[in-house]
Amino acid sequence: MAAVIVRLIETATNSTEREIDPRLLKAIKSTARSSEDEVCSAVHVLMEKMRKEHSQVRYLALFITDELFMRSKYFRRLFVVDLEQFLALSVGFRRNMPLPPPSFIASLLRSKSIELLEKWNIAFGIHYRQLRLGLDYLKNTLKFQFPNRLENEARLQQERRKREIKTQELLSKKFEDLKENFSSMKSEIRSTLDQLEECLHIVHIGQYRFGQNSFNADDDFNSIEFKSPSLRQIRLDSLKEGAKIHENSENRAVFSAMREFYKILVSKHLESVHNYISTLIKVDNQNNRFRDSALKDFIDIRNCIYAVKKKYEELDFQHDVNDSNEDDLWEEGKIDSQHEPQISSSCSGLNLEFADGWDSSKGKGKVPPGIFISPNRSNNKTANGRCFTVKIKGKTSDVKDLEQNKNKLEPTSIRSKLLVDAPVFDWAPSFYNWGSSKDILANHRGLELDSHWGRVDQDAVIPASKIAELNVHVSTYREPTVEIQPCLVPLKKGGLCPRRDMKACPFHGVIIPRDSNGNPIIEGKTPPNEETTGVSSKPTEDERISVTNYDDMAAKLANQAVKNIRERDNEAKLLKKAKLAKVREHNETVLREAAVTSSTHSECFGNDIPSSYRDRSEPKLKKPTLASMLKKKVTTKDRLVKKLASTRRATEGTTRQLSKAEDDAYKEAYPNQW
Amino acid sequence: MWSDLRNRELGDIHPILFSNAIRKRRFCNLTISNYKEIVSPHNGGVNSLRIDLIENRYLLSGASDGSVSTFDTQYTTDYEGGGLIGKHKPLFVIDRHCGGHKYAVSSVSWYPVDTGLFVTGSYDHYVKVWDTNSTKVVVDFKMPGKVYGSSMSSIATTHMLIAAGSSDIQVRLCDIASGAFTHTLTGHRDGIMAVEWSASNEWVVMTGGCDSAIRFWDIRRPGCFRILDRVQSLPGRRPPIYERAINEKGVTIAEDIKNRTKNRRAVLIRDSSGKQLYPRMALSHNLATAHCGWITTLKATEDGMHLISTGADSKICLWDIESGYNLPVCFESTNLQMEKPLQLAVTPDSSLLFVPSMNCIKAFDMWSGKLMKTFPCHYETTNCCCLNSQDQELYTGSNDRHILVFSPFNATIPEVEDGYKRDMLYSSDQDFWSD
Repeated sequence: MAAVIVRLIETATNSTEREIDPRLLKAIKSTARSSEDEVCSAVHVLMEKMRKEHSQVRYLALFITDELFMRSKYFRRLFVVDLEQFLALSVGFRRNMPLPPPSFIASLLRSKSIELLEKWNIAFGIHYRQLRLGLDYLKNTLKFQFPNRLENEARLQQERRKREIKTQELLSKKFEDLKENFSSMKSEIRSTLDQLEECLHIVHIGQYRFGQNSFNADDDFNSIEFKSPSLRQIRLDSLKEGAKIHENSENRAVFSAMREFYKILVSKHLESVHNYISTLIKVDNQNNRFRDSALKDFIDIRNCIYAVKKKYEELDFQHDVNDSNEDDLWEEGKIDSQHEPQISSSCSGLNLEFADGWDSSKGKGKVPPGIFISPNRSNNKTANGRCFTVKIKGKTSDVKDLEQNKNKLEPTSIRSKLLVDAPVFDWAPSFYNWGSSKDILANHRGLELDSHWGRVDQDAVIPASKIAELNVHVSTYREPTVEIQPCLVPLKKGGLCPRRDMKACPFHGVIIPRDSNGNPIIEGKTPPNEETTGVSSKPTEDERISVTNYDDMAAKLANQAVKNIRERDNEAKLLKKAKLAKVREHNETVLREAAVTSSTHSECFGNDIPSSYRDRSEPKLKKPTLASMLKKKVTTKDRLVKKLASTRRATEGTTRQLSKAEDDAYKEAYPNQW
Repeated sequence: MWSDLRNRELGDIHPILFSNAIRKRRFCNLTISNYKEIVSPHNGGVNSLRIDLIENRYLLSGASDGSVSTFDTQYTTDYEGGGLIGKHKPLFVIDRHCGGHKYAVSSVSWYPVDTGLFVTGSYDHYVKVWDTNSTKVVVDFKMPGKVYGSSMSSIATTHMLIAAGSSDIQVRLCDIASGAFTHTLTGHRDGIMAVEWSASNEWVVMTGGCDSAIRFWDIRRPGCFRILDRVQSLPGRRPPIYERAINEKGVTIAEDIKNRTKNRRAVLIRDSSGKQLYPRMALSHNLATAHCGWITTLKATEDGMHLISTGADSKICLWDIESGYNLPVCFESTNLQMEKPLQLAVTPDSSLLFVPSMNCIKAFDMWSGKLMKTFPCHYETTNCCCLNSQDQELYTGSNDRHILVFSPFNATIPEVEDGYKRDMLYSSDQDFWSD
């Protein structure tokens, strides 16, 4: 009557997957929903499945049970009656009813069912005494570890609440503080801001004056026409550079004051303003009027600070960049994030431009890929003793480095020439101190090594010559690739033999150069058949042959002779081989016979190999079944254990009697301990 | 049910029969009670449960950790789950730290006259009589061995004797009034597991021992006067007393019994001259056995006519007390615990028998032996069960330390004052189909 759900559950549980096919599960659910009979039979079938001696089946049945349990009241009512039985089968708490193999799924089953029991108990524990009983028994009597989700959640919530209260307290404290010294702080910030603005103003006036001069000069430049956009760009940049104010002896005092104010503003005031704003936003206070007004004030102040800061940065940034350009270009990454966009925008123009120049000077439109090392002797001065610039693809700072060097010293011609000649190496550790002539401290690694091995000489030095000796550059020899000629003997079915062998094709013999039709090409010679006949049958003709021909002939003869001897040798070798093979075969048969007669084990030995071969040849596409999960895999360990056990058996036999006597004595002496 | 009620009003149905019918119906509908919980304070398996005979209200329990406690089954001490679950906490607990028994308590029983006293027997060789109000020992009796069973007669008016069976071969009768042993009943060849007073005769005590014999003793006379023999069986059963009283009009009960006994073989062991043979019974009788193995339980029905015994052979036997014959009832699929004295329960109209059987309680029909119902709720072996005939409730104790309440099934949820809360509770156990 209600066979549908039975069949569905049968198919659902007959699987080796960890989860049930969602479509099947949906079908089960909708079937169970349709009538109470189905639910009733589902309960029975699931219990039946739980009794199967296979953890996988039980695991899947548990899944279905959970799905139905959480949904159907009728299912719950029928199911809880047998809960004790169910738990015994799923948790396996009875000593005489352990969970069936496979063991890894069994442990999964246990933990899952415990988890589910708790879940059910949270959801429906009030309504079903059996659930409460089961949980209580497992928890309090058998002391199973439950996940305790409800308690954990409650605890977490409490902790969160505590934390909130604490933060609120802190905030209100801060708020009180703020209230007290709001006005004083405000005035302080205001004064700093004003001072900074004044400084900026002074500087700006100077700039204006200075700027007019430069623009006069600019007009002169304008008269000359620059066609190249790149050059034009350079010019514009340089003009811009000129327009910037530079620190000089006149305004040094102003600059230093400005810098100081700026530092105070950014490091102290801005931060405190941010802090107070966040406090004011977060704080939950009844004094809302003060809060709102304070917040407004603070936001105003913040905006002011930002405005001034921007102004200052526009001014001061140039100064910074100029400095860093002169020092070390690698430090560029350390500049504040606020400076960054400006730098990159100003540099990108340069980059593009120099990259163009670089490419054209090299003559090739391509930079070699990977790591490129160029000996940089020509511009030692600028590179501060760095002997290499290691160029990694895509790293703009390096490009800039090179380019700027180029720009200053105009090394284009020499460099490019050198670069053309320069060998390309793979990177090796020896390049780390290539060309350095410094000695290296041997025991200098920041560790106190005295304790164990006695005194260590901290000043020990490895001389540079030694380092150089140790750091010899290693280069591997790479075989030049050789193209192997194809055999090219014309085949019966048409076409040429495509095999490529070094010397001899296994089907067509020695490979010789052939033309496109497969005919052998022998330089300046007649086809071979004529030649062989000519050698043996017509000695008289030889005399008629010219001197040049005679030489050829001699060479041919020599070749032929060598060939003949080789053939004869080969024949002898083959014969020998055949003989040896025969002898070996005989030996083998004799041995096999002896083995077969000697023991029964070896009988299967012979049969074994072909069968294993057969197995290997068959593709293993068998689907894993439930039964296959139960099979225990024989590991190497097992095999070793077995082997050891078998060797031990003999010794065991002798020791057993001894130990038995001992046992008996022990049993008599301590009867209660058995 | 309503027609029955009308018939009773009209006088067509005898009021006793009517109430019996309702009781029986309720007993047949027992399920585990979700709304009544007894909070067990015991740390060991519950060995014995008794409800008091006066009010049918106070439940006495003895556990294998030596603790004894009582519960009020009517008054709920605690509520849980929004007032849905009523919890009954113990009124008091006596364990070994406050003067209780040292070892497992094997049997408990109320003083039959009121609830001011109760008696406990324990494996620490003592039978103790307690004052319920002060929870102090009033009298204690040192037995020669582990006490397996102790019992007081529920109908006694002239004596206050506790019959106690121990691992010793003698049954001892302890007198509460004097604090001494008044009788030692000798006859069993091994320890005594079960002791039961007759429900119809205050002088008769029935004992079952490890020598697989059930002996009847008349305490006014020396020696036992009957040994039950499982070979001798009665061909049919006597109809229950109420039915007989109504159906066979004109024939009094006494006459009926007389008639019946006349037709049967001689019941008591007498010689031709009528002289009683006991105390020195014929050897063949003296060796008669009731079970193959220990007798673990004896339980007399409330009308005092039948005796139910269980043995280590995992069988339940029904005996006619008056004749001493075995009634040929085969109780199906019994699977009893063997090592321990069990405690059975019989409904007052002797229609249903509740037997603790491994992890569940089984309800049998007394006269056909048919298994009516099993209650699988305990997680370990059950030891005892006890019926409350007034509320038609069943209390069961088991080795998993729980005392469970089974009450007649009703689909309604008990009254919760808060309407909203009630709705919420009700809706939390509904179908929930997401797809």
